[in-house]
Amino acid sequence: MGLEPGREDTPMVLPGGQTFLTTKLDFVVNWARRNSLWPMPFGTACCAIEMMAAFASRFDLARFGMERMSFSPRQADVLICAGRVSYKMAAPLRKIWDQMPQPKWAVSMGACASSGGVFDVYSMVQGIDTIIPVDVYVPGCPPRPEGLIYGLLLLHDKIKGESVTDREIHRQLRFEDPAAVGQQALPPEVVSQITVPFGNSTTQNRASGLVSTGAQLRPRDRQP
Amino acid sequence: MGDSYREGLEGLASAPGAEEAGEAPRHGAAGGEEHPSVAALRERFAEAVQHVEVVAGDEVVVYVPAARNGEILRWLKESEAFDFLQDLTAVDYGGGRPLQVVYQIYSTTHKRQLRLKAELPLDALELDSAVPVWAAANWLEREVYDLFGVHFRGHPDLRRILMPETYAEGHPLRKDFPLRGRFSRAEQTRRALALEHDDFYIPDELAVRRPRLEQGPAEGAQE
Repeated sequence: MGLEPGREDTPMVLPGGQTFLTTKLDFVVNWARRNSLWPMPFGTACCAIEMMAAFASRFDLARFGMERMSFSPRQADVLICAGRVSYKMAAPLRKIWDQMPQPKWAVSMGACASSGGVFDVYSMVQGIDTIIPVDVYVPGCPPRPEGLIYGLLLLHDKIKGESVTDREIHRQLRFEDPAAVGQQALPPEVVSQITVPFGNSTTQNRASGLVSTGAQLRPRDRQP
Repeated sequence: MGDSYREGLEGLASAPGAEEAGEAPRHGAAGGEEHPSVAALRERFAEAVQHVEVVAGDEVVVYVPAARNGEILRWLKESEAFDFLQDLTAVDYGGGRPLQVVYQIYSTTHKRQLRLKAELPLDALELDSAVPVWAAANWLEREVYDLFGVHFRGHPDLRRILMPETYAEGHPLRKDFPLRGRFSRAEQTRRALALEHDDFYIPDELAVRRPRLEQGPAEGAQE
C-alpha cells in the first residue's frame, strides 16, 4: 500500500519531462534573468548612436531591466554589437564575448554587424555570427531605437522559453567550452558559404580575386 | 564669394583630362599671375618642374621627378618657408598609370599653399622620405607604405600602421588589389582571430607586455 517510490511525481510530469517544480523554477529564473539583463555595449559606428538614444530618457531601456550599461564584460549578460566590425576588431570582440559570464546572449544590431552590410571589402567581418553566436538580429541601417527595443523584447521571449530541463539550452547557457575560446563561431566552410559575394557594385568575383581586376579607365580622371 | 565659388566649379570642370594632356599648362588662378613659389621653383630647379597645373579653381599642382623629390622638398621648406606639411598621401589611378605621391604643404609665413606630386612607375615604388624635412611625415609615410607599398628611403621606422604586421595580402589601396582581399573569408576570419597585441605594436611600445598563451606556464611552475 501507499505510494511506491518513483511513482510519486508521475502525475505531475508534463510533456517534455517538465514537472511542476521545474516549470515554476523556470518561470522564476527566467523572469529574474530577462528583467535584469545588463548590456555590454559594443558600439563601433552609427548604430551605436541609435543604441545610445535607446538608452537615453526618451526610450529608456531601463524600463526593461537594463538599468545600466555594463562597460565591463564581466558584469554583463547581453552583448549588443552595434555597428560594423572590422577584422582588426574581430579578436577584441571575441575576447569580450569570452570574458562575459554564462548565461549570456548576443544581439547583432544593424545591417553591418549582421551581414557586413555595404562593406563587402577586404577589411570587414561579414557578419559577427562568424565570430560569436548571435541570438537576435536587428535589421536596419541603422535601426531606430524602437527596432532595438523590439529585438530586446524578442530576446525576452527567447529567455522566457528556456528551461532547465532542456539539456541543449542548459548546456549552451551554463557551460563554457574552453576549446571555443578565441575561435570563430562557425566552421570555415560555412563562413565561406555565407559570405559569398552578391555581385554588387564591382566587376570582381571570388574566382578572379587572385588576378588584377584592371581598373576601368575613366576619362574624367584628372591626369596630365 | 559667389564668384570665386563659381570659378572653382569652372576650374573643376575644365581641369585637364586625358584628351587635353598635350595642352600648355595654365599658370595662376583664373588667368592671374603665377604662384610666387612656383616661379621660384622654376628659377632654382629649371628642368625639375615637369608640369604645373591649376585644379579646382586655385589649387596649384607641381609635378616633380621622384628622384629629386627630397632636395626639392627641403629647399621649399628652407627657402620658401613651407613649414607645415598638411597632408601626404598617394593616388593610384589604375590602368598601369604611374602612382602619384602627393604632398600638400602650407607656408604659415606667406599664407600660401602648394601641392606637389611625384610620379612613380608601378615597378619602382621608391623615393626619398620627407621625415627629415617635416617630422609630421612619419606616420603619413607609414600609411602610404602600408596601403600602397611605396618604399620611403631614409624613413626611421617604415612598417605598417593600419593593417596588422602579419597582414599577408598586400597593399589594399592599390588598384590591382582585389576589393575583397586575396584570401577567402574563412581564412581572413581565422587570421583575424589569431591576431595578438604584438601584431599591432612592437613590444617596446607596450608598457605591460602580456605573455602569450601558447608559451605555456612560466618557468618553475612544475614544482
